[in-house]
Amino acid sequence: MTAIARETGWAAGVCAGLHAAGIRHVVYVPDNPLSHVLAALRDDYPDVVTTIATREEEAFGIAAGLYLGGARTAVMLQSSGLGNSLNALTSLVIPYQIPMLILISMRGDAGEWNAAQVPMGRAVPAILDAMGLSHTTIASAERAADVVRLVATTALSTRLAGVCLLPRRLTAPSVERRRG
Amino acid sequence: MDRLEASRHLVATLTDEAVIASLGHPAYDLFAAGDRPEHFYTWGSMGLASSIGLGLAMARPDRRVIVLDGDGSLLMNLGSLATIGWVRPANLVLVVWDNALYGTTGGQPTATAHVADLEAAARAMGFASTIAVRTPDELRAALARTRAEAGPWAIVAKVTESAPIAKPPLDCVYIKQRFMAAIGNPEPGTGGAAP
Repeated sequence: MTAIARETGWAAGVCAGLHAAGIRHVVYVPDNPLSHVLAALRDDYPDVVTTIATREEEAFGIAAGLYLGGARTAVMLQSSGLGNSLNALTSLVIPYQIPMLILISMRGDAGEWNAAQVPMGRAVPAILDAMGLSHTTIASAERAADVVRLVATTALSTRLAGVCLLPRRLTAPSVERRRG
Repeated sequence: MDRLEASRHLVATLTDEAVIASLGHPAYDLFAAGDRPEHFYTWGSMGLASSIGLGLAMARPDRRVIVLDGDGSLLMNLGSLATIGWVRPANLVLVVWDNALYGTTGGQPTATAHVADLEAAARAMGFASTIAVRTPDELRAALARTRAEAGPWAIVAKVTESAPIAKPPLDCVYIKQRFMAAIGNPEPGTGGAAP
């Protein structure tokens, strides 16, 4: 296994998991780790449509509309963008019971170098708990596909959005030499 | 032309279109003008009606999607115009009831009361066609054009505020399930489709 494959195997797992759950639309606001997911989708799952939004709240609106039209959908964002998403989640996604997979690329956790990322990153689990959204941390590349698929299918069955957190120790293992 | 009058003219033209209504007065007037199961009434998420409409238009390119937004709501999510202009769904019609004020919250002025021009903004962001209308005849003519010419369309209708006379159902899940069944993709698990 090459160094690059070893560092981005988690992204391949995420893609396999969401695809296995029947998700064919991904709406996102980009960040650096998520670029690996986007690259894997482009290379290995050309049937998945990716749409870039200008802001995370907008991404949740687009995803809700996709679901209303019968599509299974994932939203991808950086943890900093959860703050931009709260009204969409609490006044649309949750009360209308619009299920979707939410993938949050974490900042502010172990390996962080930017103090401005820390307060929101540390608050993410408590904010999700306060909204009643369950969250699962993807601890290893090997487990990524199974966990993402399970969280997505649970969300769809129960009509409650499900969240997978992608920690920096998973997505940026060489953070000491590659900042960002 | 007040907003309720404009809403009535719009509803009178509908056949099988799906309609997404922004919260507050646009949704109240759509309901008062004539309830249909193909109406999705939002009760929150200010600013996101056009984003919901975009997602729906992407998932269902076979069906025309009309969004009823307010000027204040659209100003909250102007980035949506850029995304719509990029994705360019031919089946999406964005109607902005532009009364130049926040009608649901007491009539505070919006930026369109000053210099902001939402039709120009939609045009600048790549909408296929945009038009500003002020009269019922102009509104009807614009809606007729949206049937013949591919979108995305933005119709900015200059309206005056009118007092709401009715409110749509409060049950969010009812609104959703009725809507999804009416447009032909019933929500899985509601008895209308394979899981």
